[in-house]
Amino acid sequence: MPACLPKVWRLLPAGFLLIALPVAGSQVNTSSGWNMPPGVTGISQNIFSLHMIIFWICVVIALVVFGVIFWSLFAYRKSKGAKAAHFHENTLVEVIWTALPLIILVAMAVPATATLKQLYDTSEADMDILVTGHQWRWHYQYMEEDLSFFSNLATPRSQIEGQEDKGDFYLLEVDQPLVVPTGQKIRFLFTSNDVIHSWWVPDLGIKKDTLPGFINESWTRIEEEGTYRGQCAELCGRNHAFMPIEVKAVSPEAYQSWVEERKAAAASEAANVDRERSLDELMQRGEEVYTTYCAACHQEDGGGMPPAFPALKGNALVQEESGRQQHLETVLHGRSGTPMPAYSDTLSLADIAAVITYERNAWGNNSGDRVQPAEIRELLDSDD
Amino acid sequence: MWRVLQAVLAAFFGVQSERKRREDFQQSSPWPFILTGVLMTLVFVVAVGFLAHWASS
Repeated sequence: MPACLPKVWRLLPAGFLLIALPVAGSQVNTSSGWNMPPGVTGISQNIFSLHMIIFWICVVIALVVFGVIFWSLFAYRKSKGAKAAHFHENTLVEVIWTALPLIILVAMAVPATATLKQLYDTSEADMDILVTGHQWRWHYQYMEEDLSFFSNLATPRSQIEGQEDKGDFYLLEVDQPLVVPTGQKIRFLFTSNDVIHSWWVPDLGIKKDTLPGFINESWTRIEEEGTYRGQCAELCGRNHAFMPIEVKAVSPEAYQSWVEERKAAAASEAANVDRERSLDELMQRGEEVYTTYCAACHQEDGGGMPPAFPALKGNALVQEESGRQQHLETVLHGRSGTPMPAYSDTLSLADIAAVITYERNAWGNNSGDRVQPAEIRELLDSDD
Repeated sequence: MWRVLQAVLAAFFGVQSERKRREDFQQSSPWPFILTGVLMTLVFVVAVGFLAHWASS
Protein backbone atom coordinates (compact mmCIF):
# COMPACT_ATOMS: atom_id res chain seq x y z
CA MET A 1 0.00 0.00 0.00
CA PRO A 2 1.40 3.46 -0.85
CA ALA A 3 2.93 5.35 2.08
CA CYS A 4 0.84 8.48 1.40
CA LEU A 5 -2.36 6.81 2.66
CA PRO A 6 -3.44 7.63 6.22
CA LYS A 7 -1.65 5.19 8.50
CA VAL A 8 -4.80 3.59 9.83
CA TRP A 9 -5.62 2.33 6.33
CA ARG A 10 -2.60 0.08 6.41
CA LEU A 11 -4.49 -1.98 8.98
CA LEU A 12 -7.20 -2.81 6.46
CA PRO A 13 -5.97 -6.36 5.73
CA ALA A 14 -5.96 -7.20 9.43
CA GLY A 15 -9.41 -5.73 9.91
CA PHE A 16 -10.67 -7.65 6.91
CA LEU A 17 -9.34 -10.90 8.37
CA LEU A 18 -11.08 -10.26 11.70
CA ILE A 19 -14.41 -9.75 9.95
CA ALA A 20 -13.99 -12.46 7.29
CA LEU A 21 -13.14 -15.30 9.69
CA PRO A 22 -16.47 -15.50 11.53
CA VAL A 23 -18.40 -14.95 8.29
CA ALA A 24 -16.57 -17.85 6.62
CA GLY A 25 -17.13 -19.89 9.77
CA SER A 26 -20.89 -19.46 9.70
CA GLN A 27 -20.94 -20.68 6.08
CA VAL A 28 -19.17 -24.01 6.64
CA ASN A 29 -21.90 -25.29 8.92
CA THR A 30 -24.39 -25.43 6.07
CA SER A 31 -24.29 -28.10 3.39
CA SER A 32 -22.11 -25.96 1.13
CA GLY A 33 -20.03 -28.93 0.02
CA TRP A 34 -17.01 -27.51 1.82
CA ASN A 35 -17.67 -29.29 5.07
CA MET A 36 -17.77 -32.99 5.93
CA PRO A 37 -21.29 -34.53 5.80
CA PRO A 38 -23.14 -35.16 9.10
CA GLY A 39 -23.98 -38.62 7.77
CA VAL A 40 -26.84 -40.98 8.55
CA THR A 41 -25.69 -42.95 11.59
CA GLY A 42 -25.39 -42.06 15.28
CA ILE A 43 -21.61 -42.42 15.08
CA SER A 44 -21.22 -40.27 11.98
CA GLN A 45 -23.34 -37.53 13.61
CA ASN A 46 -21.22 -37.72 16.77
CA ILE A 47 -18.10 -37.37 14.65
CA PHE A 48 -19.63 -34.40 12.86
CA SER A 49 -20.53 -32.58 16.08
CA LEU A 50 -17.05 -33.26 17.49
CA HIS A 51 -15.62 -31.77 14.32
CA MET A 52 -17.81 -28.67 14.64
CA ILE A 53 -17.10 -28.18 18.37
CA ILE A 54 -13.36 -28.36 17.79
CA PHE A 55 -13.65 -26.12 14.74
CA TRP A 56 -15.38 -23.40 16.78
CA ILE A 57 -12.87 -23.76 19.62
CA CYS A 58 -10.13 -23.16 17.03
CA VAL A 59 -11.99 -20.14 15.64
CA VAL A 60 -12.36 -18.56 19.09
CA ILE A 61 -8.69 -19.19 19.95
CA ALA A 62 -7.59 -17.73 16.61
CA LEU A 63 -9.75 -14.62 17.11
CA VAL A 64 -8.44 -14.02 20.63
CA VAL A 65 -4.77 -14.65 19.76
CA PHE A 66 -4.72 -12.70 16.50
CA GLY A 67 -7.00 -10.05 18.03
CA VAL A 68 -4.44 -9.42 20.78
CA ILE A 69 -1.58 -9.40 18.26
CA PHE A 70 -3.24 -6.93 15.89
CA TRP A 71 -4.54 -4.73 18.70
CA SER A 72 -1.04 -4.58 20.23
CA LEU A 73 0.49 -3.77 16.86
CA PHE A 74 -2.00 -0.94 16.42
CA ALA A 75 -2.26 0.53 19.92
CA TYR A 76 1.44 0.36 20.77
CA ARG A 77 3.00 1.41 17.49
CA LYS A 78 6.30 3.23 17.41
CA SER A 79 4.86 6.41 15.83
CA LYS A 80 2.75 6.89 18.98
CA GLY A 81 5.94 6.80 21.03
CA ALA A 82 5.53 3.26 22.40
CA LYS A 83 8.63 1.87 24.09
CA ALA A 84 9.35 -1.86 24.42
CA ALA A 85 9.21 -3.15 28.00
CA HIS A 86 12.26 -5.01 29.29
CA PHE A 87 11.39 -7.74 31.77
CA HIS A 88 12.48 -11.32 32.14
CA GLU A 89 9.54 -13.34 33.40
CA ASN A 90 6.01 -13.21 34.66
CA THR A 91 5.07 -16.35 36.53
CA LEU A 92 1.34 -15.63 36.61
CA VAL A 93 1.06 -15.15 32.83
CA GLU A 94 3.19 -18.23 32.20
CA VAL A 95 0.97 -20.34 34.47
CA ILE A 96 -2.14 -19.09 32.67
CA TRP A 97 -0.84 -19.81 29.17
CA THR A 98 0.25 -23.29 30.26
CA ALA A 99 -2.89 -24.22 32.16
CA LEU A 100 -5.39 -22.86 29.64
CA PRO A 101 -4.33 -25.14 26.71
CA LEU A 102 -4.26 -28.07 29.13
CA ILE A 103 -7.87 -27.39 30.14
CA ILE A 104 -8.94 -26.90 26.51
CA LEU A 105 -7.27 -30.15 25.39
CA VAL A 106 -8.86 -32.15 28.21
CA ALA A 107 -12.23 -30.59 27.43
CA MET A 108 -11.85 -31.76 23.80
CA ALA A 109 -10.57 -35.20 24.82
CA VAL A 110 -13.59 -36.08 26.97
CA PRO A 111 -16.27 -36.13 24.20
CA ALA A 112 -13.71 -37.47 21.68
CA THR A 113 -12.91 -40.46 23.93
CA ALA A 114 -16.60 -41.17 24.45
CA THR A 115 -17.12 -41.29 20.66
CA LEU A 116 -14.01 -43.43 20.11
CA LYS A 117 -15.27 -45.95 22.66
CA GLN A 118 -18.57 -46.18 20.81
CA LEU A 119 -16.75 -46.46 17.48
CA TYR A 120 -14.78 -49.51 18.59
CA ASP A 121 -17.64 -51.32 20.29
CA THR A 122 -18.42 -53.99 17.68
CA SER A 123 -20.12 -56.30 20.19
CA GLU A 124 -23.68 -57.62 19.88
CA ALA A 125 -24.00 -57.12 16.14
CA ASP A 126 -27.11 -58.40 14.35
CA MET A 127 -25.13 -59.42 11.26
CA ASP A 128 -21.56 -59.57 9.92
CA ILE A 129 -20.23 -58.64 6.50
CA LEU A 130 -16.71 -59.48 5.35
CA VAL A 131 -15.35 -56.76 3.06
CA THR A 132 -12.33 -57.76 0.99
CA GLY A 133 -10.36 -55.30 -1.11
CA HIS A 134 -9.17 -56.50 -4.50
CA GLN A 135 -7.25 -54.68 -7.22
CA TRP A 136 -9.63 -53.02 -8.18
CA ARG A 137 -13.02 -54.02 -6.87
CA TRP A 138 -14.70 -54.79 -3.55
CA HIS A 139 -15.93 -58.21 -2.50
CA TYR A 140 -18.74 -58.56 0.04
CA GLN A 141 -19.54 -61.72 1.93
CA TYR A 142 -22.60 -61.96 4.17
CA MET A 143 -21.32 -64.22 6.93
CA GLU A 144 -24.73 -65.47 8.14
CA GLU A 145 -26.06 -66.08 4.64
CA ASP A 146 -24.59 -68.21 1.88
CA LEU A 147 -24.12 -65.07 -0.13
CA SER A 148 -21.15 -63.22 -1.58
CA PHE A 149 -20.39 -61.14 -4.65
CA PHE A 150 -18.03 -58.65 -6.27
CA SER A 151 -19.00 -55.02 -6.65
CA ASN A 152 -17.53 -53.45 -9.81
CA LEU A 153 -17.39 -49.95 -11.22
CA ALA A 154 -20.45 -49.39 -13.44
CA THR A 155 -19.49 -46.09 -15.07
CA PRO A 156 -19.15 -46.76 -18.82
CA ARG A 157 -15.68 -46.36 -20.36
CA SER A 158 -17.11 -43.87 -22.86
CA GLN A 159 -17.69 -41.42 -19.98
CA ILE A 160 -14.23 -42.04 -18.56
CA GLU A 161 -12.60 -41.44 -21.93
CA GLY A 162 -14.59 -38.26 -22.52
CA GLN A 163 -16.71 -39.42 -25.46
CA GLU A 164 -19.89 -38.96 -23.44
CA ASP A 165 -21.01 -36.50 -20.77
CA LYS A 166 -20.33 -37.56 -17.20
CA GLY A 167 -23.34 -38.97 -15.31
CA ASP A 168 -24.55 -37.81 -11.88
CA PHE A 169 -22.66 -40.56 -10.09
CA TYR A 170 -19.57 -40.59 -12.27
CA LEU A 171 -17.06 -43.09 -10.78
CA LEU A 172 -19.35 -43.51 -7.76
CA GLU A 173 -21.65 -46.21 -9.17
CA VAL A 174 -21.31 -50.00 -9.11
CA ASP A 175 -22.98 -52.96 -10.81
CA GLN A 176 -23.98 -54.66 -7.52
CA PRO A 177 -24.28 -52.41 -4.45
CA LEU A 178 -23.83 -53.64 -0.92
CA VAL A 179 -27.44 -54.04 0.28
CA VAL A 180 -28.02 -53.75 4.05
CA PRO A 181 -31.08 -53.49 6.30
CA THR A 182 -31.85 -50.28 8.21
CA GLY A 183 -32.03 -50.19 12.01
CA GLN A 184 -29.72 -53.18 12.52
CA LYS A 185 -26.22 -53.24 13.96
CA ILE A 186 -23.98 -54.44 11.17
CA ARG A 187 -20.41 -55.48 11.95
CA PHE A 188 -17.92 -55.10 9.12
CA LEU A 189 -14.78 -57.20 8.94
CA PHE A 190 -12.16 -55.76 6.63
CA THR A 191 -9.31 -57.52 4.89
CA SER A 192 -7.54 -57.46 1.55
CA ASN A 193 -6.65 -59.94 -1.13
CA ASP A 194 -3.57 -58.12 -2.43
CA VAL A 195 -2.43 -54.65 -1.32
CA ILE A 196 -3.70 -52.14 1.26
CA HIS A 197 -7.03 -50.56 0.34
CA SER A 198 -9.31 -48.44 2.49
CA TRP A 199 -13.10 -48.72 2.65
CA TRP A 200 -14.40 -45.16 2.98
CA VAL A 201 -18.07 -44.15 3.14
CA PRO A 202 -18.36 -40.60 4.58
CA ASP A 203 -22.11 -40.84 5.29
CA LEU A 204 -21.50 -43.84 7.56
CA GLY A 205 -18.51 -42.23 9.27
CA ILE A 206 -16.34 -45.23 8.30
CA LYS A 207 -12.87 -45.13 6.81
CA LYS A 208 -11.05 -48.35 7.54
CA ASP A 209 -7.87 -49.74 5.99
CA THR A 210 -8.07 -53.25 4.57
CA LEU A 211 -4.77 -55.06 5.09
CA PRO A 212 -3.75 -58.39 3.57
CA GLY A 213 -3.45 -60.96 6.38
CA PHE A 214 -5.20 -58.80 8.97
CA ILE A 215 -8.83 -58.30 9.97
CA ASN A 216 -10.01 -54.82 10.93
CA GLU A 217 -13.43 -54.22 12.41
CA SER A 218 -16.04 -51.50 12.37
CA TRP A 219 -19.78 -51.29 12.64
CA THR A 220 -22.76 -49.24 11.59
CA ARG A 221 -26.46 -48.85 12.23
CA ILE A 222 -28.14 -46.93 9.42
CA GLU A 223 -31.45 -45.32 10.37
CA GLU A 224 -32.43 -43.79 7.02
CA GLU A 225 -33.08 -45.72 3.82
CA GLY A 226 -30.95 -44.52 0.95
CA THR A 227 -27.86 -44.99 -1.18
CA TYR A 228 -24.54 -43.97 0.35
CA ARG A 229 -21.43 -43.74 -1.80
CA GLY A 230 -17.73 -43.89 -1.14
CA GLN A 231 -14.35 -44.64 -2.60
CA CYS A 232 -11.12 -46.47 -1.90
CA ALA A 233 -9.05 -44.13 0.25
CA GLU A 234 -5.65 -45.80 0.10
CA LEU A 235 -3.61 -45.56 -3.10
CA CYS A 236 -3.70 -49.17 -4.31
CA GLY A 237 -2.42 -49.10 -7.86
CA ARG A 238 -3.47 -48.25 -11.37
CA ASN A 239 -7.26 -48.32 -10.93
CA HIS A 240 -7.42 -46.95 -7.39
CA ALA A 241 -9.93 -44.30 -8.49
CA PHE A 242 -12.09 -46.89 -10.23
CA MET A 243 -13.27 -49.06 -7.32
CA PRO A 244 -16.15 -47.11 -5.74
CA ILE A 245 -18.41 -48.23 -2.93
CA GLU A 246 -22.19 -48.08 -3.02
CA VAL A 247 -24.18 -48.99 0.07
CA LYS A 248 -27.93 -49.36 -0.32
CA ALA A 249 -29.86 -49.29 2.94
CA VAL A 250 -33.37 -50.77 2.64
CA SER A 251 -36.07 -51.83 5.11
CA PRO A 252 -35.44 -55.20 6.83
CA GLU A 253 -38.33 -56.75 4.83
CA ALA A 254 -36.92 -55.54 1.50
CA TYR A 255 -33.51 -56.79 2.60
CA GLN A 256 -34.87 -60.27 3.33
CA SER A 257 -36.54 -60.53 -0.06
CA TRP A 258 -33.36 -59.28 -1.74
CA VAL A 259 -31.39 -62.06 -0.01
CA GLU A 260 -33.92 -64.68 -1.17
CA GLU A 261 -33.75 -63.33 -4.71
CA ARG A 262 -29.95 -63.44 -4.77
CA LYS A 263 -29.93 -67.01 -3.47
CA ALA A 264 -32.53 -68.15 -6.00
CA ALA A 265 -30.51 -66.57 -8.81
CA ALA A 266 -27.33 -68.31 -7.63
CA ALA A 267 -29.15 -71.64 -7.36
CA SER A 268 -30.61 -71.37 -10.85
CA GLU A 269 -27.20 -70.49 -12.26
CA ALA A 270 -25.67 -73.52 -10.57
CA ALA A 271 -28.44 -75.76 -11.90
CA ASN A 272 -27.86 -74.36 -15.37
CA VAL A 273 -24.15 -75.07 -15.68
CA ASP A 274 -24.68 -78.04 -17.98
CA ARG A 275 -26.84 -76.16 -20.46
CA GLU A 276 -25.11 -75.79 -23.82
CA ARG A 277 -24.64 -72.06 -24.68
CA SER A 278 -24.74 -70.63 -28.20
CA LEU A 279 -21.85 -68.58 -29.53
CA ASP A 280 -24.01 -65.41 -29.48
CA GLU A 281 -25.01 -65.88 -25.86
CA LEU A 282 -21.42 -66.51 -24.79
CA MET A 283 -20.13 -63.52 -26.78
CA GLN A 284 -22.72 -61.16 -25.33
CA ARG A 285 -22.02 -62.12 -21.71
CA GLY A 286 -18.31 -62.37 -22.47
CA GLU A 287 -18.11 -58.79 -23.65
CA GLU A 288 -19.64 -57.52 -20.40
CA VAL A 289 -17.24 -59.60 -18.31
CA TYR A 290 -14.28 -58.55 -20.44
CA THR A 291 -15.12 -54.85 -20.06
CA THR A 292 -15.40 -55.17 -16.28
CA TYR A 293 -12.48 -57.44 -15.51
CA CYS A 294 -10.00 -57.48 -18.40
CA ALA A 295 -10.19 -54.21 -20.34
CA ALA A 296 -8.31 -52.14 -17.75
CA CYS A 297 -5.07 -53.94 -18.70
CA HIS A 298 -5.69 -55.75 -22.01
CA GLN A 299 -7.71 -52.77 -23.34
CA GLU A 300 -11.15 -52.60 -24.91
CA ASP A 301 -9.76 -53.41 -28.38
CA GLY A 302 -7.64 -56.33 -27.15
CA GLY A 303 -4.47 -54.45 -28.07
CA GLY A 304 -3.05 -54.62 -24.53
CA MET A 305 -0.18 -52.42 -23.39
CA PRO A 306 2.94 -54.41 -24.26
CA PRO A 307 5.21 -55.44 -22.73
CA ALA A 308 3.40 -55.31 -19.34
CA PHE A 309 -0.03 -56.35 -20.62
CA PRO A 310 0.19 -58.49 -23.77
CA ALA A 311 -2.20 -58.01 -26.67
CA LEU A 312 -4.95 -60.64 -26.93
CA LYS A 313 -5.82 -59.60 -30.46
CA GLY A 314 -3.90 -61.81 -32.88
CA ASN A 315 -2.26 -63.63 -29.95
CA ALA A 316 -1.52 -67.26 -30.93
CA LEU A 317 -2.43 -68.45 -27.43
CA VAL A 318 -5.84 -66.86 -27.71
CA GLN A 319 -6.45 -67.56 -31.38
CA GLU A 320 -5.19 -71.05 -32.14
CA GLU A 321 -6.35 -74.47 -31.02
CA SER A 322 -2.86 -75.36 -29.75
CA GLY A 323 -2.97 -72.50 -27.23
CA ARG A 324 -6.48 -73.24 -25.99
CA GLN A 325 -5.50 -75.26 -22.92
CA GLN A 326 -2.94 -72.69 -21.82
CA HIS A 327 -5.42 -69.85 -22.40
CA LEU A 328 -7.91 -71.55 -20.07
CA GLU A 329 -5.24 -72.24 -17.44
CA THR A 330 -4.02 -68.63 -17.55
CA VAL A 331 -7.49 -67.17 -16.96
CA LEU A 332 -8.29 -69.67 -14.18
CA HIS A 333 -5.01 -69.60 -12.28
CA GLY A 334 -3.29 -66.39 -13.40
CA ARG A 335 0.32 -66.26 -14.41
CA SER A 336 2.94 -65.98 -11.68
CA GLY A 337 5.53 -63.27 -12.04
CA THR A 338 3.07 -61.07 -13.96
CA PRO A 339 0.12 -58.89 -12.85
CA MET A 340 -2.31 -61.45 -14.35
CA PRO A 341 -4.49 -62.65 -11.43
CA ALA A 342 -6.34 -65.96 -11.06
CA TYR A 343 -10.05 -65.69 -11.83
CA SER A 344 -11.21 -69.14 -10.70
CA ASP A 345 -12.48 -67.70 -7.37
CA THR A 346 -13.51 -64.31 -8.72
CA LEU A 347 -15.80 -65.23 -11.61
CA SER A 348 -18.58 -67.79 -11.98
CA LEU A 349 -18.13 -70.80 -14.27
CA ALA A 350 -20.50 -69.23 -16.80
CA ASP A 351 -18.62 -65.92 -16.75
CA ILE A 352 -15.23 -67.59 -17.23
CA ALA A 353 -16.55 -69.66 -20.15
CA ALA A 354 -18.12 -66.55 -21.70
CA VAL A 355 -15.09 -64.30 -21.37
CA ILE A 356 -12.71 -66.91 -22.81
CA THR A 357 -15.09 -67.47 -25.71
CA TYR A 358 -15.23 -63.72 -26.23
CA GLU A 359 -11.45 -63.36 -26.26
CA ARG A 360 -11.11 -66.19 -28.76
CA ASN A 361 -13.63 -64.63 -31.16
CA ALA A 362 -13.52 -60.85 -30.75
CA TRP A 363 -11.35 -58.34 -32.64
CA GLY A 364 -10.91 -60.68 -35.65
CA ASN A 365 -9.57 -63.56 -33.58
CA ASN A 366 -12.54 -65.50 -35.09
CA SER A 367 -11.49 -68.95 -33.94
CA GLY A 368 -15.17 -69.99 -33.88
CA ASP A 369 -14.26 -71.75 -30.66
CA ARG A 370 -16.82 -72.03 -27.87
CA VAL A 371 -16.04 -72.74 -24.21
CA GLN A 372 -18.88 -74.13 -22.10
CA PRO A 373 -19.25 -73.68 -18.30
CA ALA A 374 -19.25 -77.48 -17.86
CA GLU A 375 -15.79 -77.65 -19.41
CA ILE A 376 -14.47 -75.09 -16.90
CA ARG A 377 -16.00 -77.08 -14.05
CA GLU A 378 -14.31 -80.27 -15.26
CA LEU A 379 -10.99 -78.49 -15.55
CA LEU A 380 -11.26 -77.10 -12.01
CA ASP A 381 -12.33 -80.50 -10.62
CA SER A 382 -9.37 -82.24 -12.25
CA ASP A 383 -6.99 -79.62 -10.82
CA ASP A 384 -8.04 -80.33 -7.25
CA MET B 1 11.18 -32.18 51.34
CA TRP B 2 8.18 -30.02 50.43
CA ARG B 3 10.56 -27.61 48.66
CA VAL B 4 11.97 -30.47 46.50
CA LEU B 5 8.49 -31.75 45.63
CA GLN B 6 7.39 -28.26 44.71
CA ALA B 7 10.40 -27.84 42.43
CA VAL B 8 9.72 -31.17 40.69
CA LEU B 9 6.00 -30.37 40.21
CA ALA B 10 6.91 -26.97 38.80
CA ALA B 11 9.28 -28.70 36.38
CA PHE B 12 6.47 -31.09 35.32
CA PHE B 13 4.23 -28.10 34.69
CA GLY B 14 7.03 -26.26 32.91
CA VAL B 15 6.85 -22.95 34.83
CA GLN B 16 9.00 -21.83 37.78
CA SER B 17 9.61 -18.37 39.18
CA GLU B 18 13.13 -16.94 39.08
CA ARG B 19 13.18 -16.50 42.89
CA LYS B 20 12.41 -20.18 43.57
CA ARG B 21 14.90 -21.28 40.93
CA ARG B 22 17.69 -19.38 42.70
CA GLU B 23 16.74 -20.90 46.05
CA ASP B 24 16.72 -24.42 44.56
CA PHE B 25 20.18 -23.96 43.10
CA GLN B 26 21.56 -23.08 46.52
CA GLN B 27 21.00 -26.63 47.75
CA SER B 28 24.17 -28.63 48.29
CA SER B 29 23.19 -31.82 46.46
CA PRO B 30 21.13 -32.42 43.27
CA TRP B 31 20.23 -36.01 44.29
CA PRO B 32 16.98 -35.27 46.17
CA PHE B 33 15.71 -33.51 43.02
CA ILE B 34 16.75 -36.33 40.68
CA LEU B 35 15.30 -39.09 42.88
CA THR B 36 12.03 -37.24 43.44
CA GLY B 37 11.86 -36.55 39.69
CA VAL B 38 12.23 -40.25 38.81
CA LEU B 39 9.70 -41.24 41.48
CA MET B 40 7.15 -38.65 40.35
CA THR B 41 7.57 -39.80 36.74
CA LEU B 42 6.62 -43.32 37.81
CA VAL B 43 3.65 -41.97 39.77
CA PHE B 44 2.57 -39.98 36.69
CA VAL B 45 2.81 -43.01 34.37
CA VAL B 46 0.79 -45.19 36.76
CA ALA B 47 -1.79 -42.41 37.18
CA VAL B 48 -2.21 -42.08 33.38
CA GLY B 49 -2.54 -45.88 33.18
CA PHE B 50 -5.31 -45.86 35.79
CA LEU B 51 -7.05 -42.94 34.07
CA ALA B 52 -7.00 -44.76 30.72
CA HIS B 53 -8.24 -47.94 32.37
CA TRP B 54 -11.05 -46.08 34.09
CA ALA B 55 -12.04 -44.23 30.90
CA SER B 56 -12.18 -47.42 28.82
CA SER B 57 -14.19 -49.50 31.30
